[in-house]
Amino acid sequence: MGLEIGDLIIGLSMLAFSLVGLFLAAGAHDNEMYVFGLSLAGWGTVFVFGLLHRYFDRRDAARVAISVRGEQPHE
Amino acid sequence: MNDAAYAAVAAQPSTASRAVDYNEAIVKKFVIASIFWGVVAFLVGIYIATELAWPQFNLDQYVNFGRLRPVHTSAAIFAFGGCALFGTSFYVVQRTCRARLFGGEALANFVFWGYQFFIVMAALSYVMGYSKSQEYAEPPWHIDVWLTVVWVAYAVIFIGTLLKRQEPHIYVANWFYLAFILTVAVLHIGNNIYLPISVYSANAYSLTAGVQNAMIQWWYGHNAVGFFLTAGFLGMMYYFIPKAANRPVYSYRLSIVHFWSLIFLYIWAGPHHLHWTALPDWTQTLGAAFSIMLWMPSWGGMINGIMTLSGAWDKLRTDPGLRFSVTAVGFYGMSTFEGPVMSVRDVNALAHYTDWVIGHVHSGALGWVAFITFGALYYLVPVLWKREALYSTRLASWHYWIATLGIVFYITSMWVAGIMEGLMWRAYDKFGFLQYSFAESVVAVHPYYVIRLMGGWMFFIGALIMVYNFIMTVYSQSTAPRDAVLPAGLAVAGE
Repeated sequence: MGLEIGDLIIGLSMLAFSLVGLFLAAGAHDNEMYVFGLSLAGWGTVFVFGLLHRYFDRRDAARVAISVRGEQPHE
Repeated sequence: MNDAAYAAVAAQPSTASRAVDYNEAIVKKFVIASIFWGVVAFLVGIYIATELAWPQFNLDQYVNFGRLRPVHTSAAIFAFGGCALFGTSFYVVQRTCRARLFGGEALANFVFWGYQFFIVMAALSYVMGYSKSQEYAEPPWHIDVWLTVVWVAYAVIFIGTLLKRQEPHIYVANWFYLAFILTVAVLHIGNNIYLPISVYSANAYSLTAGVQNAMIQWWYGHNAVGFFLTAGFLGMMYYFIPKAANRPVYSYRLSIVHFWSLIFLYIWAGPHHLHWTALPDWTQTLGAAFSIMLWMPSWGGMINGIMTLSGAWDKLRTDPGLRFSVTAVGFYGMSTFEGPVMSVRDVNALAHYTDWVIGHVHSGALGWVAFITFGALYYLVPVLWKREALYSTRLASWHYWIATLGIVFYITSMWVAGIMEGLMWRAYDKFGFLQYSFAESVVAVHPYYVIRLMGGWMFFIGALIMVYNFIMTVYSQSTAPRDAVLPAGLAVAGE
């Protein structure tokens, strides 16, 4: 149950988007850019937590499938 | 392919038995989002219709008509319609290509949440007073950049799935979805070339100005109608009507002619939005000529959609979802007849800037876009949540009749108001003076604005009935296992 390459690429992209959001909010000249920047940073962070959550969910599901039912993991 | 070749393909057992683990979770998310944004769009529509009828409802700068109007249009077109298109395209491309979505779960989730982020940010920017003031392209430049990123990811998933398909043929619904995805990308980029005053500012200047800006804006605006609100939803029509009717498309050859003629003709029609302006005369003539030519492919598609029910007309009595879809095709035929008529210069002289245009738009938006979406949703919800049937077909029927009546109230009131406005604005007295002031025309249309509001309320109530029906369907006990893979072959919708 390894890390999927898609998760890694999207996760790193989210990191980049969040950083861009923070810079936009930090240098914002108007309310709109401030709100957008902060929201982008927050959104990217929450998305990364979602990726982590799904990764561990899949790993736990695979472990349960193997240990309890003696089945092979689906993925 | 001749009949014998079709029969040979249908007889092959290999694809029928091949199980594909479709990504239905992402389709469910878009279905829920579409329903949610639909309710939001209708509610905001009701509020701004109230503001037009009684201006005292413009309570505060954040909720005045000028700011909420783009919230309504964006919520209806891009949020409600867009989520429906994303969801159904992901469903259709997987089923007809017999392949799981390309790019994995994370990329699909990025497209979903990235698009929701775009919707919320765009709505917030309008309410806060930041807008490019270009109709249907209001979001500030940085939100446009974000949408471009999400859209590219969407195209990668869709095209990637087509490339890894296990079916040799690309079903026609996917052609329409692909045209929608590619053309909207070109339109979005072409109409949003802006130079920001600073990377830290939401304000930006357009590359073009004056009549060039207007021309590009309406090249974008009309093709947003043509490719977002027409081509994409035709993809929906070509899959869900045959599925719900359990009949093959009436004429697959006509669907291909429909596709190429529509795609070629639509892209030239934009200048009809700028009749009697500073746009060169020949450009206006070109726009009008192509708009009139568009009538033919549009009606070809309408006939193909309706005639697909040949031999299955009785299902209209028992399947309200199919009734929505077929009525949608009827409205599609009606509004694609009305559009070319309005693009004729002399008719446009009467109709332009009046509420007739609003009536025309809503016969398309409510009658075609929303109804074809409702038809697809009534089909999809029991399938995706693996329920045997809807919680209540009776409630779906109620939704159908209330919504249909609501549309009738809406568009007829706007026709009357619009033609009256046009006639009042051009009326002269015997001395050559204008017979009516503008304010008099505003007073004259007030009753029709109230009737329009009633129509909006009916449409909204119908949508609430649908939401209740879906919630009860999802929570209903009567589950029935469904196979992820349906029998292969060519009988229905390319499956």
